[in-house]
Amino acid sequence: MENILVLKDYKTVPDIVHEYGPTLKFGHIPLVIDNGSYQCRVGWSIYEEPHLIFKNLIARPRKDRCKKDAEPPVTPPIQIGNDILNIEAVRFQLKTQFDKNVVTHFEVQEQVCDYIFSHLGIDSEGSVPHPIVMTEAFVTPNYCRQLMSELLFEGYGIPAVSYGVDSLFSMYRNDIGDTALIVNCGYHTIHIIPVIRGKVIGEHARRINLGGSEMISYLHKLLQLKYPVHVNAITMSRIEEILQEHSSVALDYQEEIRKWSNPDYYEANVKKVQLPYVQTASSSGLTAEQQKERKKEMARRLLEINARKREERLAEDEEQLNQLLAIQDMIEDGDTDEFNEAIKGFDIKSYEDLQRQISNINVRIEKNKQRILAAANAEENLEVRPTPGRMQPPSDPEAFQAWLNETRAKYRSLVARRESRRARRAAMAKRRSAAAAERMRVISRLAAAGDDFGDQDSDWDAYKSISREADSDSEADGERLVELEEALREYEPPPAADQRHTTHQLHLAIEPYRAPELMFQPSMMGNLEAGLAESMEYVFKHFSPEDQLLLANNVFLTGGCSQFPGLKERLERELLEMRPFQSTHKVVKAKNPSLDPWYGARDFAGSNEFENWCVSKEDYYEMGGEYLKEHYASNKYYKSPAPIADNNLAPAGDANVVKEEIVVDC
Amino acid sequence: MTGEEEKPCFKRENKFIVKSGCKKRMWRSLKQILTAERTLLWPNEAVLYYSINAPPTFKPTKKYSDISGLPAPYVDRHSKLFYANVEEFATVRSLPMDITAGYLQLRGANNLVG
Repeated sequence: MENILVLKDYKTVPDIVHEYGPTLKFGHIPLVIDNGSYQCRVGWSIYEEPHLIFKNLIARPRKDRCKKDAEPPVTPPIQIGNDILNIEAVRFQLKTQFDKNVVTHFEVQEQVCDYIFSHLGIDSEGSVPHPIVMTEAFVTPNYCRQLMSELLFEGYGIPAVSYGVDSLFSMYRNDIGDTALIVNCGYHTIHIIPVIRGKVIGEHARRINLGGSEMISYLHKLLQLKYPVHVNAITMSRIEEILQEHSSVALDYQEEIRKWSNPDYYEANVKKVQLPYVQTASSSGLTAEQQKERKKEMARRLLEINARKREERLAEDEEQLNQLLAIQDMIEDGDTDEFNEAIKGFDIKSYEDLQRQISNINVRIEKNKQRILAAANAEENLEVRPTPGRMQPPSDPEAFQAWLNETRAKYRSLVARRESRRARRAAMAKRRSAAAAERMRVISRLAAAGDDFGDQDSDWDAYKSISREADSDSEADGERLVELEEALREYEPPPAADQRHTTHQLHLAIEPYRAPELMFQPSMMGNLEAGLAESMEYVFKHFSPEDQLLLANNVFLTGGCSQFPGLKERLERELLEMRPFQSTHKVVKAKNPSLDPWYGARDFAGSNEFENWCVSKEDYYEMGGEYLKEHYASNKYYKSPAPIADNNLAPAGDANVVKEEIVVDC
Repeated sequence: MTGEEEKPCFKRENKFIVKSGCKKRMWRSLKQILTAERTLLWPNEAVLYYSINAPPTFKPTKKYSDISGLPAPYVDRHSKLFYANVEEFATVRSLPMDITAGYLQLRGANNLVG
């Protein structure tokens, strides 16, 4: 096949511990951490590239369940970021410090920080002596920043920290001027942030609560539902790969899906993704022929054992009979004394008893002999009888093919009949369907039927047609179906190896467009928020026409999910649609949508003014954890207001309730 | 895991990591944090997390076939699935309950009444 996509199933490489040279150790070098909800990128501000890039995830294996006293419980180590070699193996133990795009789980964050600092090789005693530039979500709640500062200052003893917004860093990194409409497509959210003359207009920014992770889980579920057989082979990581490498944004979604409804277009453009395929060995490594042979052999052996047992019993009985006959002879010879002696040994009381026993044994011997005879005959039969009920194909290849086709046709017609019967029964169960009406008609005719009902055999079929239960016909059909199925399974030539591969392929048609389209139509997953284009239009409306034009001429696309092919073109089309006639617009894509925030933050840390934008340890103790030094790429700082005192709360309900007396006229 | 043993040298103490067996601190979810934030009297100009949520959509939502993604003019009254043409209808009717429920959940339409 020409266009089969093979999944690469990327493996992570565990991070090395980087060298912590004297320049770093004593240089007071700022450390730049782009703490994103998808990936964390960490590096020193004096280097060009980040040292660590890893998924912001940890896998905490569950404790050993076997609690033996002998050995102390061994806890497998926590795996963090790139330590997780096989993410699917620990999928259910994964944890992240993020809730949406905000850090909320600081125990996990601390573990991630430990990972970061130890992999950078930091070995100074008792503290991390570096100022830190940390990215945070746009409008991070103060509560979260406070905990982050607490962790950094008190947990790691850092001298200073500066917080910034990833998308703003990315914007300044790309040097596109100081007025832009940032569209930041992230892992959990899409932000639309207007920046005018270097000023972030926060009150008109908007956030769509949807991102890459939602697209992944959407596509994941979609394909699992489409291919229920491969539920376990369709993993999140594979979906992520499909989304990253084979998906794109449609320029015009309606037009795109209209194209796909044409079967020829579908055939020509469908993407086939090969799932790993393992040649399944037949259950015991034996062919059907061998299994049959083995079964026969076992049956024969069983028969032999039975026959031997019967013969042994026969010999035993004959022996006993001889003894008893000898005793009978004694009494006939008149040896009463000897007889009395002998019957004591045999537990016989009298002559009558003896005779009864002899006749019993005779009967037994007779029966046994008959059985042995019957068994021998059966054995002969087993050799010759060609298992009745089984379908026997003709041996001639041409006739065999004809027979096979015929069997298939029979099978199909039976299945069709069963389906139609099922459908009829299902329809009959419902009221007001045609089938139910027909049933009622038959019933009423039955009631009105005269005495001649039953003269013809076909009269009785009326009962079959009104029965809601499975009737004898369906039972007979069922048996026949099983028979045909067996025959087909046995004699149908096995599909060729490459054909069997095709059953392990995912056919992707609209799906690679469908998942990214969520950005524009969140309603597809039941999210009632406006999509990206509509939200942009909404944001534009809040500005004067001049500013609108400025923003539209500098739409800046950044964030990991902005890397879908076609997204830029789609945004341009949407802008053309929403902007006034003949006005201009321009979409700029970040040079490196994933890493530009880190580069931007690195530039920031290297600037001369960096010191002034840092929250120092003194500031932290003075102003509290939520405090933030504002700079060009930061959030705005609003001091948290004091909690409202209790007496300011809404007065107790009673005072406000106007009591009305209701007079009821009698 | 015991906190002390694994503590890296650059730390004096673990701040938030607790020893296994000790009572775990419950971390507030984002939703709880936002609710708490909302109860405070913020100055008017303050922009908070919840105040920049995207507006609800004003455009009519388009219907797509649940199984193929094609534009879907029809709804199967029985399973409530959208479908695009006759062949799909046959497929929809043959789907087992768990699959139809899965499709509805994917579309966020599983808890609608009626």
